[in-house]
Amino acid sequence: MAVDINKVLLLGGGPTSIGHENELDAAAYERLIALKKTGAQIIYVDDNPFSVTSEEVQPANVYVQQVNFKNVVNIIEKEHPDAIMATTGGLNAMQIAWQLSESGVLTSNNINLLGIKPADLRKVIDNEKLRDLLTEINERVIASRIVADDTEAMDFVREVGFPVIVKPISASHDTSRFICNNTDELEDALDVSFKRAYIKRCSIEQSIVGYKEIEMVGIRDANGNKLLISGLEDMDPIGIHSGDSIIFAPTQTLINEEYQALRTATFRIMDSLNVTGTCHVQFAQSRTDSNYFVTKVSPFFTRNTLLAAKATGYPLTYVASFLELGYGFTEIKLPAKYSKYTPFMEPTMDHVLVRIPLWPFRDINDVDQHLNTLMKSVGSTIGVGRTVEEAIIKSMHSSQFSPRDILPSVSKVDDDDVINQLIHPLASRILILMEALRRGFSIDELSELTRIDRFYFYKLNQLLRAQDFVINHPLSPQSVQVGHKYGFGDGMLAELWNVNIAQITRMNQNVNHQVTYKEIEPSAGEFLEATNIFYSSYELENESKPFAEKTALVIGRGGNQLGPNSAADYYTAQILISLKKVGYKTLIMNTNPNVVSLTPQLSDKQYIEPIQLGNILNIINLDRPDVIFLPGNRHYLSKQLKQFADLNIIVLPPDQKVAHYKRHSATTAVDLFIQGKEIIPVTSLSFFNHHNRNDLHHLNDYQEPMIDWQKDESLIMQQAIKTTNPSEWQGLVQVLFNKTNSGDYICTGIRPVRITETAFLTKTTGINWINVLVKKYLGILDMASLREQLKPIAHKRYSIMTAHFPFKQLQSNRKEGTTRQEVGAALSFENFIN
Amino acid sequence: MTQRYLILADGSAYPGKAFGSLATTTGELVANSTMNGYQEIISNQIYHNQIIVFTQSSIGNTGLDQNAYESVLPSAKGVIVREYENLATDHFKRISLDRYLKQHRIPGIYDVDTREIRHRLQKYGNMMASIVDVADDHAFDQLHATVLTNQQVAQVATPKPYPNPDEGDNVVVVDFGLKSGILRELSRRNCNVTVVPWNSTSEMILDLDPDGIVLSTGPGAPSNLPESVLKMITEIQSQAPLFAIGLGHELFALANQAKVSKLRVEHHGANHPIREIITNEIFFSGQEQGYAVDPKSIDHAKLFITHVDLVNGTVQGLRHRDFPAFSVQFSPDGAPGPKDSVDLFDDFMEIMERRRDENGSRY
Repeated sequence: MAVDINKVLLLGGGPTSIGHENELDAAAYERLIALKKTGAQIIYVDDNPFSVTSEEVQPANVYVQQVNFKNVVNIIEKEHPDAIMATTGGLNAMQIAWQLSESGVLTSNNINLLGIKPADLRKVIDNEKLRDLLTEINERVIASRIVADDTEAMDFVREVGFPVIVKPISASHDTSRFICNNTDELEDALDVSFKRAYIKRCSIEQSIVGYKEIEMVGIRDANGNKLLISGLEDMDPIGIHSGDSIIFAPTQTLINEEYQALRTATFRIMDSLNVTGTCHVQFAQSRTDSNYFVTKVSPFFTRNTLLAAKATGYPLTYVASFLELGYGFTEIKLPAKYSKYTPFMEPTMDHVLVRIPLWPFRDINDVDQHLNTLMKSVGSTIGVGRTVEEAIIKSMHSSQFSPRDILPSVSKVDDDDVINQLIHPLASRILILMEALRRGFSIDELSELTRIDRFYFYKLNQLLRAQDFVINHPLSPQSVQVGHKYGFGDGMLAELWNVNIAQITRMNQNVNHQVTYKEIEPSAGEFLEATNIFYSSYELENESKPFAEKTALVIGRGGNQLGPNSAADYYTAQILISLKKVGYKTLIMNTNPNVVSLTPQLSDKQYIEPIQLGNILNIINLDRPDVIFLPGNRHYLSKQLKQFADLNIIVLPPDQKVAHYKRHSATTAVDLFIQGKEIIPVTSLSFFNHHNRNDLHHLNDYQEPMIDWQKDESLIMQQAIKTTNPSEWQGLVQVLFNKTNSGDYICTGIRPVRITETAFLTKTTGINWINVLVKKYLGILDMASLREQLKPIAHKRYSIMTAHFPFKQLQSNRKEGTTRQEVGAALSFENFIN
Repeated sequence: MTQRYLILADGSAYPGKAFGSLATTTGELVANSTMNGYQEIISNQIYHNQIIVFTQSSIGNTGLDQNAYESVLPSAKGVIVREYENLATDHFKRISLDRYLKQHRIPGIYDVDTREIRHRLQKYGNMMASIVDVADDHAFDQLHATVLTNQQVAQVATPKPYPNPDEGDNVVVVDFGLKSGILRELSRRNCNVTVVPWNSTSEMILDLDPDGIVLSTGPGAPSNLPESVLKMITEIQSQAPLFAIGLGHELFALANQAKVSKLRVEHHGANHPIREIITNEIFFSGQEQGYAVDPKSIDHAKLFITHVDLVNGTVQGLRHRDFPAFSVQFSPDGAPGPKDSVDLFDDFMEIMERRRDENGSRY
């Protein structure tokens, strides 16, 4: 039965980075909604300035602090929670939970660790212990050993056979690995590795490079009941990090026997760890027989745990929260829109989901772009369809490729390079795979070179053939049908045939070929649930019905790249929250699986659709939104949409192209809010840069209020107000200054407040500026109350924003980054020194 | 790609593209929501006289595997799917789905809105359907006029006994349309199996000196079988440990005076939680069920319910109070579907062993 919890400490995921976007915040947000039902008081710790969760918790219960052992201990001593939930805080939070247990903090404070018991957590944190556990329950793990000389290495190889991987053990972050297929290669590798190692030791392990990578996500209740949420299949073989691989749900190339073996293994592992809640297990599946190895066990929320939930529509986070509290599956009550059987029914899918990673090499191009066991992608997009091809193309078109090409070609690469890239894959490898097919490589050859299952080449080939057909039969009804079946949107067809999209729309009407929306729900049509998550398909039955109430469509940002993306998601989520508060039915369209803005509780309807003109128009045509919000700077899309005069489109923040700079540098800024002719100062900021650069591209770190605010703030605010012409500027506006040697401030420019800073301002001023902007543009802003909130300006402390860059993870030597290279940020506070 | 039609008794017609055989067939339309194991599903004799709609949007991805057939001669009347892959790849020698269906004269239609059909079946219940070349009045007349045979078991079960020798326990399997998964599990436990026809008498069966008897799965309504089958069951259940599965379970219930009724919507999938009443444990298993034992009709002096489906409340398992006889509605062999309950075969082995100990060693 359920644990009685009065006060629970929830550990946050921290700033976004490679390997972790906003998915942990999304999970924490859903968890919060579940926990609120239990009446428990929630304490939350996180320093991610773009956390939506921290805004849903009572302000007094939020600790904006780095999630580390020391801080958590302090919070425990102050708050005396009776339970800790660490599973939505990533591996970092799990490690802290373990430290809390090891150091006796949990026992001395009588705190219940939810999800997994400390003794079992230890088995997951400590690799050796996990290996012992798995061996004990007869699961195979990859053999590895530390060796001190060639003889020991040879003994090991005699036991496990070639190929093996040799890694030097070195103090520096040496990530070299040598794959050895025979004795000669092994001797060479050992020779090099022993020289590099700071003590003469090497790690040697059995190589499973080329195996299929399969992931399983299961959940378990305290009574030991289990169900499998979904299996995921990585298209790319072991050797490429799962985060850099194209992933399919459900699994595509496993036969029943193999699938069930992995499902059973997952359950056995969950039982042996006494997991209550979720568990994500990764496997290496042999291609030549039914053998497999367990490669990773994560009894907490991971990126792919949440992807599995997204793929099936199963309310995983909500259910898992109750499981962690000790509820049994049959005791969990879901919101009314779900079937009452959903918590304990094993999800079954009638669609395909594909996830394609996005890499940051456009913004950071001086690093090794080869894909290997270190994750390099910073985001991903998903495509959902009824056919595999449809899902692939939708996920590709949700990513960075040009809308002009259906399947981009890489014609500049010569044949040798193609072969080289097939063997040593680079980012966006799917383009090379298709290029190789175009150049006539056989599917057998390709599968041999890449260790990718032939099935996927067969599918890519179908796509190429469909594209050829569509190109060769412009404007024919058959082409439209083929195109639609394989996921080519109307916008793509229009671009491809170089015609106006309206012409395609007319053709669809003439042949009565209309888009339909299918619901993503976990029973494959057995129950009429209303998850209200949809994807498009050209079929008979449309399940998405327009709302009778006034409706707003918010167009999400799609996949994360570097730059202000996590902030943009925060921004998007806040727009949804604001619209709901003022009585709109909200629709969100997005393709990023890791965003908060797709959290089911935040909107009334979610569309997993490519963010492209054709797909957007189809939704508009069905739902007839009264207003459309376009968050983020998307010049191309906003230009395209503005062709349609009857659409009520609000771009937020206003396009950055309207920024006006006298100089491309600043040290200080004043943020103003302008409504009609009224200008209200909001606050002041100082920018700082550890390398003393003050050009605009390097203004990543800032604090509020400005340095010397006691002395200079009112002066510079006056100056800012004077500079700004309300007929040119509306909403949140930032006036930039440089401070001269003589102590004067010289205005260098004026621009809309950026997305990241809007999030920051919301956290530091206590006013939800996104809410204010939404109301302003809907014409329902209550100025009197805003004036009241803003006056008088009483600064209480410094708020500091520090940008994070992915240089270390990408093995780049860069120390300094531009705003376009940010991967996340941390928020902290500092008291004034009196 | 030939255009063909799936037509339904309610008058609806679904154009789609043909694959597999181009035969015209009629059968009961049922939706199966299992995500893996299309091969096991299509080759299961339980689908005799039925057209299978796969809710899984794409099947055929892994071709057909020599080790995964559930029967040698499949008897399904058709396969309906959104998309099929005509692949024969991977590490076992396999033929493609298209070729397999052609070989066995099973027509297929793809490119239809299977989700819509699923919704329709959930709403209106079981329905007759045909796969035809032209969806005209004639085709509908034919569909309405078709009466499907009620001799389904006789058509798919073995007419002659055959052995599957091994060195372990003597198990007699009564074949009502046996799925190979049952034999596979018995093989894994080294059972010395004799498969006998569905109409074998108790005398014939008991003369084989069974350590245990299995009543197999099979197609159609249990009421289609003659009274003699029920008589056989009542006579053997007191003589040797009995394990009844699927149709076997329904017959076991009937033999013990329980009633069996047809479900409004057949349930074919692996997503329903099944609760074992004694342990309160929940697990999953492949279910292919058109009929269910009426719990109210059970004579509690004879039988008690061991398992129940938590979604539709149907009886999923029974046990006899006086004899070592038990039955399950679902498929514990996991072909296809989860292997959560495969240890029911171990329970059966244990019962046989205990029985032997009680009776004194035979050897």
